[in-house]
Amino acid sequence: MAYVAIADRDHPMHDPQTWIEKYVWSQDHKVIAIQYGSVAIGVGLVALALSLLMRLQIGFPDTFPFITPYNYYQFVTMHGMIMVIYLLTALFLGGFGNYLIPLMCGARDMVFPYLNMLSFWVYLLSVIVLLASFFVPGGPTGGGWTLYPPQTVLEGTPGHDWGILLMLLSLAIFIVAFTMGGLNYVTTVLQARCRGMTLMRMPLSVWGIFVATILGLLAFPALLVAAIMMILDRLIGTSFFMPAIMSLGEIAETDGGSPVLFQHLFWFFGHPEVYIVALPAFGIVSDLLSTHARKNIFGYRMMVWAIVAIGALSFIVWAHHMYVSGMNPYFGFFFATTTLIIAIPTAIKVYNWVLTLWRADIQINIPNLFAIGFIFTFVHGGLTGLFLGNVTVDLPLSDTYFVIGHFHMVMGVSPVMVLFGAIYHWFPKISGKMPNQTLGYIHFWMTFLGTYAIYLPMHYIGILGMPRRYYAYGTTDFIPESAHAVNEAITIAAIVVAVAQLIFLVNVFYSLRKGKQAPDNPWGATTLEWQTPQTPPVHGNWGPKLPVVYRWAYDYSVPGEPKDFIPQNEPPKGHHSLANS
Amino acid sequence: MLSALFIAMLTAITVWWLLIQRLKDKPWLKQGVVPTSQETVTSSAPKVGLWVFLAVVSSLFGLFASAYMMRVGGHGGLVTWQALDEPSVLWINTLVLVLASGAMQVARNRIDADDFTGGRSYFLTAGLLTVVFLAGQIFAWQQARAGGNLGPGSPAYAFFVLLTAVHGLHLIGGLWVLGRTTARIFRVDANSVVARSRLRLSVQLCTTYWHWLLLIWLGVFALLLST
Repeated sequence: MAYVAIADRDHPMHDPQTWIEKYVWSQDHKVIAIQYGSVAIGVGLVALALSLLMRLQIGFPDTFPFITPYNYYQFVTMHGMIMVIYLLTALFLGGFGNYLIPLMCGARDMVFPYLNMLSFWVYLLSVIVLLASFFVPGGPTGGGWTLYPPQTVLEGTPGHDWGILLMLLSLAIFIVAFTMGGLNYVTTVLQARCRGMTLMRMPLSVWGIFVATILGLLAFPALLVAAIMMILDRLIGTSFFMPAIMSLGEIAETDGGSPVLFQHLFWFFGHPEVYIVALPAFGIVSDLLSTHARKNIFGYRMMVWAIVAIGALSFIVWAHHMYVSGMNPYFGFFFATTTLIIAIPTAIKVYNWVLTLWRADIQINIPNLFAIGFIFTFVHGGLTGLFLGNVTVDLPLSDTYFVIGHFHMVMGVSPVMVLFGAIYHWFPKISGKMPNQTLGYIHFWMTFLGTYAIYLPMHYIGILGMPRRYYAYGTTDFIPESAHAVNEAITIAAIVVAVAQLIFLVNVFYSLRKGKQAPDNPWGATTLEWQTPQTPPVHGNWGPKLPVVYRWAYDYSVPGEPKDFIPQNEPPKGHHSLANS
Repeated sequence: MLSALFIAMLTAITVWWLLIQRLKDKPWLKQGVVPTSQETVTSSAPKVGLWVFLAVVSSLFGLFASAYMMRVGGHGGLVTWQALDEPSVLWINTLVLVLASGAMQVARNRIDADDFTGGRSYFLTAGLLTVVFLAGQIFAWQQARAGGNLGPGSPAYAFFVLLTAVHGLHLIGGLWVLGRTTARIFRVDANSVVARSRLRLSVQLCTTYWHWLLLIWLGVFALLLST
């Protein structure tokens, strides 16, 4: 073989020689995955804390003097951007992508391990630059996570001087990091699958991550283009996005730029970004459901095609985020139509998950609870998306809490449910220890019920007309007193959910230290990562010989078989194993 | 629109590729070892990696071009577009980049034929011509500024500098790889099959990259001329 990732191991493969090489400048995809995951969860906790500060202000206005309108908008902006980019994208692709692709494909590592290592360190740099904006004069940007010009760069907006620059710089650095990682994920899937692992034998987790990475590689450049142009507008006075405008009573020097152009660029990235997060979640949840329901995934081929179709369609729906910006009605019609069309492959996936569970031997354990919980939250978030995809319904609802409820259910809570399910599912393989069951159950129920308590009422107050983005509502006729009471309840629920995440962290650290030793394959799973000679897998993953794959990833409860699962690398009856030949 | 077309093209290629990858298989029916792409594939990981990267680069320029065309078209009722008089030196620069690409191709052919001395000269010539191209682009910025009535606040001038600068940055990245490959040509062990094959691969990758960046420049130049 021409490259080490799929070669039988007759020579060392960037083996670490020192502690630093093993745990810091590591080129091992598993270590890089853990590095990505740790940083993403760490920065995600910052975003979680920011959301609590926002909720405290909304639930109990005039109570916390340290939450000013100025920093309220900074909290909103940083919470949104961190959660979407630096937590979800990084954890799904940098974390699970790194861990799962080589192991599930039967490779020793990514095909470009050095680039993979660089990807993590550049990602860390982007996080540091982003967090540095909390410590610069003026603080971080408060222009909203969509960073719309002109207000983002005009005086009067929080962080209009340093904050916005650091945000844009950090995004540009993140995109460089993502590109380095993404090249690895795509090329490894295409070039480093072990013998017998055809594309149609790949687990759906790999399919989801693979297609999401392609989306990211094509969509992130739009954000990069927007970021570069806005940096130039802010720094040297170009007018890409900045129109002729009065700012604080004075005529600004800019002239001729188009703020709507920024919106197009942002959402040309922004909508695929939804699926960059969702597709890995779709793939992983399919594997969790199949494994823990002891049944093959229903409609595997349809699931693969649905992932591909959703990925392609995600590029032609972006302007449904811009109905209120004022567009040609024919454009609105076009984008509403494409938005509704994308519901078809998505619905196929939902039906297939439910049909996978139908008459299955459903195991009630923590990963499966999170997976099933995902189906609920995703259906709820998806159905409200149908409302907002229609121009006429979107216009009155767009600036209300209905939208907050919708997108948090569909791309906040749902992917996070999958992330937790995935962490509990692969924790035994990653750490060699079993997670604590009791803490896990408490974590699940508090998170699942708690997030419903947060986001379901938001739909209601949104339909009442309660506007989003406001720092305080004061007394207005159209917002009844009961809506304020609902907001108080939402804030209390948010605190409960935040505490639940601390329980998760306690579980992780407790289980790492005191957890029971994990067997090699505690869930009886078929996919290759559970068939490694060691748990956790050592450097190079597979020992001297690579695995050989003989079957698809979903041979569960096959009639006539003694076990209720057949690993992918188990030869059919009458064949001898080729792994040692 | 341009970006949507680009994405549509990539989608079509992807779907076609998926189809030929036996995506119509029913994997639950087939067991045993079937030939995988590894056993039939002719490309290598670095080549695939480069093409994926070039798709990303193309997406970047496609989006810049889309933004440019939307702005030129007076998108959103903007003030009328004031066109830039493209500096004449851009024609010379284009010729220089074509020559650089040609020299790179000759270098590749020579090195494929194990003529390392000849290949080295052409390889270095390609690098030198690229440096000349970059210097010419900087001169073009000055020429555009001196010749026209457009300052940095003008969208036409800003787009011109931005597009050429981003293209130039990609070439500078290429020059860094070219420098490393040149060092490798100088110390290649002509008796080692592995070393020769690695060198060939590096030169092939450089050649592909240069040709592609030439195509992108031709696209950018055509876009500038069309407005």
